[in-house]
Amino acid sequence: MERFELRRQDFRLDDDQQAVREGFGDFFTKQVPSSLVRDAQPLGFDADLWQRVVAMGATSMGLPEEAGGDGATLVDLVLVAEELGRVVAPVPLVSHVVASRLLARAGGAGELLAAAAEGERVVTLALQPGVGGNRQLVPDAAVARDVLAWSAEGLTLHTLPEPAAHVPNQGSTPLAWFDPAAGERTVLAAGPGAEALFRTAVAEWKLLTGAALVGIAESALQLGVEFAKSRRTLGVAIGALQGVAFPLADVVSEISGARNLVRKAAWYAEHEPATRPDLPLVAFVHAARAATEAAWVSAHTQGGLGFTVEADISLFFLRAKGWSVLGGDPGADRRHIAAALLAAV
Amino acid sequence: MDLGTVELTPEQEAFRQEVRAFLDEIVTEEVHEHERRTGDGFHVGVHLALGSRGWLFPEWPVADGGAGLDRVCQRVLALELARRHVPMVTHSTTGLVWAAVELSADPELAARLKPEVAAGRVRFCLGYSDPEGGSDIAGATLRAVRDGDEWVLNGSKLWTTGAHNCQYTFLITRTDPEAPKHKGLTMFLVPLDSPGVEIQAIHTYGGERTNAVYYTDVHVSDTHRMGDVNAGWATLQGPLSAEHGAGRPDDGLSDVGMAMGTREFEAAIDAAARWAKHTTRPDGTLVADDPAFLDRLGALVVEAEASRVTPGPMGRVKSSLSYIAGIAELVDLVGPEALLAHGADGAIEGGVLDYAHRFAQGTATYGGTTEVFKGMIAQHVLGLPRLNLPGSKQWVR
Repeated sequence: MERFELRRQDFRLDDDQQAVREGFGDFFTKQVPSSLVRDAQPLGFDADLWQRVVAMGATSMGLPEEAGGDGATLVDLVLVAEELGRVVAPVPLVSHVVASRLLARAGGAGELLAAAAEGERVVTLALQPGVGGNRQLVPDAAVARDVLAWSAEGLTLHTLPEPAAHVPNQGSTPLAWFDPAAGERTVLAAGPGAEALFRTAVAEWKLLTGAALVGIAESALQLGVEFAKSRRTLGVAIGALQGVAFPLADVVSEISGARNLVRKAAWYAEHEPATRPDLPLVAFVHAARAATEAAWVSAHTQGGLGFTVEADISLFFLRAKGWSVLGGDPGADRRHIAAALLAAV
Repeated sequence: MDLGTVELTPEQEAFRQEVRAFLDEIVTEEVHEHERRTGDGFHVGVHLALGSRGWLFPEWPVADGGAGLDRVCQRVLALELARRHVPMVTHSTTGLVWAAVELSADPELAARLKPEVAAGRVRFCLGYSDPEGGSDIAGATLRAVRDGDEWVLNGSKLWTTGAHNCQYTFLITRTDPEAPKHKGLTMFLVPLDSPGVEIQAIHTYGGERTNAVYYTDVHVSDTHRMGDVNAGWATLQGPLSAEHGAGRPDDGLSDVGMAMGTREFEAAIDAAARWAKHTTRPDGTLVADDPAFLDRLGALVVEAEASRVTPGPMGRVKSSLSYIAGIAELVDLVGPEALLAHGADGAIEGGVLDYAHRFAQGTATYGGTTEVFKGMIAQHVLGLPRLNLPGSKQWVR
């Protein structure tokens, strides 16, 4: 690893990227009040909102132009995902975008890809390589009939007559058990090349989820900061007290680092995918931890009120972990990250 | 966004080769040995050699003693200096003080000093912290009393790093004890060879040398006053904001944050990774095959990566605290071999972990403690209210 390489460290968004961020930021802020998030519980899916997200071009933008997309970059996609996370929008966008991109790369299933680009069919991805036919929990599988999975056979598309049954979960996500024997199975690709496609898709899922977790963390932080400014004790706002202020200062430091790390990983994955293949995992691990910390610090800043269902921080606390845990144990990612370092030094 | 490698023009590439060849020549093993022995953060031979090329202030025009380098070449030079671990502490304090000299010093004095500073013959250190003041530098108690065209100084300063290798200290003094805290301060550029100045070494377990400097009836000419009388706080802000990372061109050729110690942390992580690849434990297992080792090492890689990209003052806090916690964890991961000293039988890569563990602790203090910065982040990033304490506005003795 070259620690002293002459590279730019320019994290400024260009005008197009800024427009993506602001456009989706405005969209999600206006379309997703916390009441909508609450109403979508426990499934975590709002079909009307999904239609509006599709109309914004979010399901097609990340696809290549020949697949009906706009060829948006991963940097664009993480900007969208962060805004989605900021309002914990109950739509399966991350899984759907990642699975659609995988479909496009694997080839075949052109009809499904076209329907996915239009958001007419939701596609998702089983994140764990399947061994021995064991079932696994798959994000968004409770709203998707089409599940991409990797097993010894290769990269397989499983098409079910209807989405699997929702399993209620802490993060109110459309989680479902996926049975690799179920549905109509089409092997899309096999061999090491196909496995690489699958690994890339998992890394993209972690990258976009990392971005969403940055958004969750940011909103959680803001709730804590606003509370700390207005709540008073002993004649001062509690936010003036270092015991309250410093944990919040730590949180904003973690978030701002996680945001840049997510964008850095997206930039490398887009422009130099072979240089730092571990970066999406680095970004995910850091963002997951930042979101966890932001959520509990903000909840605790609000004392007992932060523990109530009616406080909006509850939405973010329950999803900070409820969304990040879908990616599996970060310990496995950390082992990959260390292995990449050992290979590089 | 642009995180890509910078394509060098033929001229820039030639410059890089020139830098590498020159540094290979001047940054010898003796330089590193000297640094291990003294902890000076300074080597006079290297400093003067860099000055002779105009590379101490490479952005200055050649006519001013600089090298007139473009931003890319400045970055090339900075990276090559960092790669070779060139001791740069006194160079860095000299640069900070120069910003104030240029803004606030008597023009004649500044004009006289400029070529000397560029050549490396004149160097500056920071006379900021009182022995009981720490990071609260506006609480300075060192007294300066006017006496005709001179001022008489009495008091002492701690942490005047590099004083024994510098010609002047940029000193904060109390000139009006009755005024509000920030309104009774005046800055001076005090010649360190003045009668009544006594420099005493303080050694850190980070291997650094710093100093206590005592001022007993030290007479300094009014021409060495910096800025107006009792306007010392404004005079100080120039270099302080430079130290806090403000005012850099936004062209992607600077570091994103104010990472503190991340280079040392990364060096230790890399060394531990190499060690793991070739080290077999007494039970015959290769360290690199241990999943628990990899899990914990991976966590440290994440911390170092985050430290590098956390922006501004938040990066200053993040990098230092991650380094302090992470290097302790890394020592545990490696075991007693990690703390073998340079030159000891079995020391890892010249004792890089031993050094990194000791050095880490000071990074939470340099340039203002992590707590000071957390307070700034709370106020200026989060907009939380300032806590008014008895000494916030008034000088409390």
